Amino acid sequence: MSQSRQINVSKNGVPVIAIVALAILFAAGLFVVGFDQGHIFSLVYGEDAFQDMYIHELTHDMRHAAGFPCH
Amino acid sequence: MKTFLFIFIVISSGAAAGIIHGSANLVFVEPSLDQAIGIENQHLFASGEEKDTPEFRAQYDDYRIWQKSGQVFAGGILGISMGSLFGIVFVLSRNSLPGKTDIKKALVLAGVMWLTIYFIPFLKYPANPPTVGDPETVVLRGILYLTFIALSGFGAVGFYKLSQKLKTKKFIAFIGYAAFIGIIFVVMPGNPDKINTPMDLVDHFRTMSAFTVSLYWLSLGIIFGSLWNYYKPHREIPPSFN
Ligand SMILES: [Zn+2]
Repeated sequence: MSQSRQINVSKNGVPVIAIVALAILFAAGLFVVGFDQGHIFSLVYGEDAFQDMYIHELTHDMRHAAGFPCH
Repeated sequence: MKTFLFIFIVISSGAAAGIIHGSANLVFVEPSLDQAIGIENQHLFASGEEKDTPEFRAQYDDYRIWQKSGQVFAGGILGISMGSLFGIVFVLSRNSLPGKTDIKKALVLAGVMWLTIYFIPFLKYPANPPTVGDPETVVLRGILYLTFIALSGFGAVGFYKLSQKLKTKKFIAFIGYAAFIGIIFVVMPGNPDKINTPMDLVDHFRTMSAFTVSLYWLSLGIIFGSLWNYYKPHREIPPSFN
């Protein structure tokens, strides 16, 4: 028991799983708003998604407003 | 450490601050976006690519309503994303952050992160309204911007670690970071795109953009700090409940 606790909890008592989960949320959210050009939809709908760029349009104004590179 | 409570605080404060950010953008930033996209339309009419017909206007209005409706939604996503990064840094550095209450600690960290991963990168690569960016260079601009932010952020962490070792001469770490980011600032290539859009529109957009992003970081610090102060997720659960 004590060994598994040592593996899962970093030295300040913060669960590693929480850090990993938040790091994934950080990267995914940043990608969707800041950099995605239809890549996520293309996984589901194929190449057409690049033309339509649904997420891009929905996150477009925030992308400009938050200072990310756009058009 | 109450893990679920910690994650709940991160996500709810990030989402709340992000929704504030998106809503503020509707008021402060959208007028500039409309103006810039209006200029873009004038270019389309002038080049003959589009005609200024009622059909075009109707289609354009639908398209803009869809884009605007995304502000608050995207604000929530970006808010949770940056809030997650904030939560990671806060929980790992909480013991050494200055301030007696968690609200003060959260505000200090929000200020540091605002400066190092937002404002200094903004000074190097300022936000631009539509029509300024060349689609051909968007990948390059993305790489430059992310690289600068990453260097500034990791640089700040590195010099912070150094300051902990220095103990009495902590200011050397501040000078070290300033010198480090100053060199990066000068060495990294600038935004390759030429600005043909009227400068007063661009400047107004940048001011408003910086204002609402700053509002996000301030809101995040206050909301996150207040929730943390209230729920105190760092308190260990008594062993009998473990
Ligand atoms: Zn754009």
